[in-house]
Amino acid sequence: MNLINYGEKFFDELEIAKYKRKEVSVEVELNQISMSSTGDRAVTVIRGIKDKKLGIFIVDSDDEGEIKKGIEQAAKNAMANEKDEKWEGLPGEQKYNAPNIEINYEIKNASPDFFVNLLNEAIKDVRARDERAMVAGGAAGSSWLEMRISNSHGIDIMQEFGSTFMYLYVAGRAGNSVTPGIMDFDVRRDMQLDKDFVVSSILEKLKYAYNTKKSDKNVGNVVMEPLALAELLYFTLIPAISGERKVKNTTPLSDKVGQNVLDEKITIYDDPWHPMSTNPIIADDEGVAARVNKIFENGVFNGFLWDNYWGNISGYGSTGNGTRNLSTGGIGIGVHNLVIEGGKKSKEELMEDMEDGFLISGFQGAHSSNPDTGDFSVVANPAFKIENGKIVGSTVFMLSGNVYSLLGNVADISREQRKIVVMGNGVIPHMLFENLKIAPVSR
Amino acid sequence: MELDGIIDWANKNIKAEYVEIRGEELSKLNIELKDGTFSTFTSLKSSGFGIRVLAEGAWGFSSTTKIEELKDAIEKAYKMAKAASRGRYEKIKLADIKIVEDEVKSKMKIKPEEVDVQEKVKRMKELEKELKKDKNVKSTRITYQDTSGTKVLYTSERTKIVWDMGYVWQYIWATGKNERGMAAARDEIGSVDMGWELFQEENTNKVSKRVLKKLNAQLNGVSPKRGEYPVVAGPIIVGIIAHEALGHLAEADLTINSPFRDLIGKQIAPEFVNMSDRIVENGFGNNVYDDEGTKIKDVHIIKNGILTEIMLNREYAARWGMEPNGHARAENYTVPPIIRMRNTVFERGDHSFEELVEGIKFGYYLVDFRGGQAELNSSFQVGVQEGYIIRNGELAESIKDTSISGIAIDALKQISAVGKDFGIEMGRCGKGQTAFVSSGGPHMRFDKGIVVGGQQ
Repeated sequence: MNLINYGEKFFDELEIAKYKRKEVSVEVELNQISMSSTGDRAVTVIRGIKDKKLGIFIVDSDDEGEIKKGIEQAAKNAMANEKDEKWEGLPGEQKYNAPNIEINYEIKNASPDFFVNLLNEAIKDVRARDERAMVAGGAAGSSWLEMRISNSHGIDIMQEFGSTFMYLYVAGRAGNSVTPGIMDFDVRRDMQLDKDFVVSSILEKLKYAYNTKKSDKNVGNVVMEPLALAELLYFTLIPAISGERKVKNTTPLSDKVGQNVLDEKITIYDDPWHPMSTNPIIADDEGVAARVNKIFENGVFNGFLWDNYWGNISGYGSTGNGTRNLSTGGIGIGVHNLVIEGGKKSKEELMEDMEDGFLISGFQGAHSSNPDTGDFSVVANPAFKIENGKIVGSTVFMLSGNVYSLLGNVADISREQRKIVVMGNGVIPHMLFENLKIAPVSR
Repeated sequence: MELDGIIDWANKNIKAEYVEIRGEELSKLNIELKDGTFSTFTSLKSSGFGIRVLAEGAWGFSSTTKIEELKDAIEKAYKMAKAASRGRYEKIKLADIKIVEDEVKSKMKIKPEEVDVQEKVKRMKELEKELKKDKNVKSTRITYQDTSGTKVLYTSERTKIVWDMGYVWQYIWATGKNERGMAAARDEIGSVDMGWELFQEENTNKVSKRVLKKLNAQLNGVSPKRGEYPVVAGPIIVGIIAHEALGHLAEADLTINSPFRDLIGKQIAPEFVNMSDRIVENGFGNNVYDDEGTKIKDVHIIKNGILTEIMLNREYAARWGMEPNGHARAENYTVPPIIRMRNTVFERGDHSFEELVEGIKFGYYLVDFRGGQAELNSSFQVGVQEGYIIRNGELAESIKDTSISGIAIDALKQISAVGKDFGIEMGRCGKGQTAFVSSGGPHMRFDKGIVVGGQQ
């Protein structure tokens, strides 16, 4: 008897999601490797519904006996829960349309030695090229995930993904002062991590970070790098495109479908199969077929993202955006790979006409933004001062505003895009904004 | 006990300087009530072992969920350590600690597993009902979580500690709307020392009043003026400044790269300023031993204005030539322990609240926060979710969402007065892993050094 059949003795509907992850990671602290680690972990989430009552159980195992016990415990949880009259059902059989996705099986058995060598060389390069630089932290490693979603309505989809990553976090010390930490990274679906890019990109910024420049301006033109932009959007714009918030009327986009919301230069979509995607899923965490969803097209809001539950309630159906929280087993609405289309100019061209402006590499405190309103008040750090098109030093300043006002008035977008994996997956360009209100923090 | 035999085997067969087995067997309950629906109703069984091996001067780590695979996991961690050792020119050493065999008992009076799940459900529904009595509240999310079980630490040095461990935790996010716009408020409480009795103290009426006060202050608030103004910070804001702006720099693994490295033993604040990471009553970071088996000691980070002590694990204590003080913490068995804060607080002074606001022509009184973050260059940011304007020494209108920032080592020097009251709040810190922490202190006044962000 398979596990779904077993579970049907307890539930009207049942979903079993198995996640099996194999990871190797090598970490750096203070210019040296500090630790190498490996982990093999299986987690199974049982989500069952009886008389419209939901029960979930999570167990650190893929053992059949443990899963059977988990099904019984999930049934007890369902009995303790209350009826959800809005519940319509788990998703039914799907037609999967994902393109052929090449999987690199080398990643599955990646050796720690490979990453130790890579990091050793990277540390050596950093130290050789800047003797004041300290590799304060960093890591490199591999992650292999096998995920199988089955339910009692005929979904049974198995997916496997492999990725490798590398990042370094470097600070410079000159006398008693310490530069802001400069971070850069590479993430790939093969083993070809670009160590030289990571090192060069960091050192290029670090050389300006030694020179702290105070700004007394209250308004400035700003270029946001992809990572900074992603941090901000993750906590302000992304929550607003959740269909759940549409139903509850707690998003500023509630009545904006079909309207111009952002600058017409902006086109944003969720595309798990973008050539630069590091998250090429076939199906979401409920087994619903993944797809490309246009969210904003030339500034016009196309529509919300839905999981199965809220998609059923709204009548729009799931857009394949159900994502599972492995701590709670619950499904929420998430983006798989946020793509912002690039513009025409190079990133250098965005800065070249700037007489006196700023380049922001990262934000502090983006997570304290207000997802319900899009308001943010963050610290630009690391950030750099630009004079006559050239970076002249590092600076720290506060930037407060609202994401809709910010993205409603974009001066330009770079043609280059970067893969982003921090705070979610994305493919993001640089953006130029004019006349933003700022408050200097650097002394 | 089976683990004794495995440690014997490791001591005999693994050529390592140190082997550590950290095991957990925990049951968790997680319930989320979103606008009338229990959208997650989850129990969780988590059990496994985290293995850390120090060999050839480097760390290796592995984890397994099966006790029968423990020896394999130790061998894997050993191989990992050997691989890592090729990237070290300086061998890791561990400072000595007193080796203990102990059993740590829970202080909870009413363990969460003794409370019927229906009572937990009932409380959440009551809380939601009380929140939604306010017509401005449009959406609420209430999360309740409890955990109970056993944690063990066995090491090749014969440390043997068994913890009867658990916690309770509640998180609220409320979204409100009025004619002026939308706003949101966060509230978080939890305890490792108090069980269900925490919720008798933090009853639904008290919690809902607190959430609604924060929410309505923002809904009716004005946009603050951006810039540097005098600030009186309440215990929760003082706590997050202690944690984000200073605490992280005093974590030895970060100190070494921060401006604090060269400031130990030097005056960094006025002499009436004292800050510690210590055991406090009902602190969310309380424990008896850390995850390396070191007995936890109070750390006097700033004493009479002088940067005095930092938070250490065994590795960094050896590196700094200091004594370990019990700050190695791991989120769970799947990750190794790292240096973390516990309860980071400014100590009491002798001023009344009235004295602190006296003489401020225009400034801000900041009460509660939503998130914060620090950087190695001591720049910090704290999101503010409850604050008020101070005008001519009096509290005036509330302010909307904003945040504050500064350079910590500059802001410290601008503390001009410390209150005689004291308060803490319970929260979580993310430094790659999540740790339960508390932070707090008395009301404090900063004459300068804190920049208020604002759209005005």
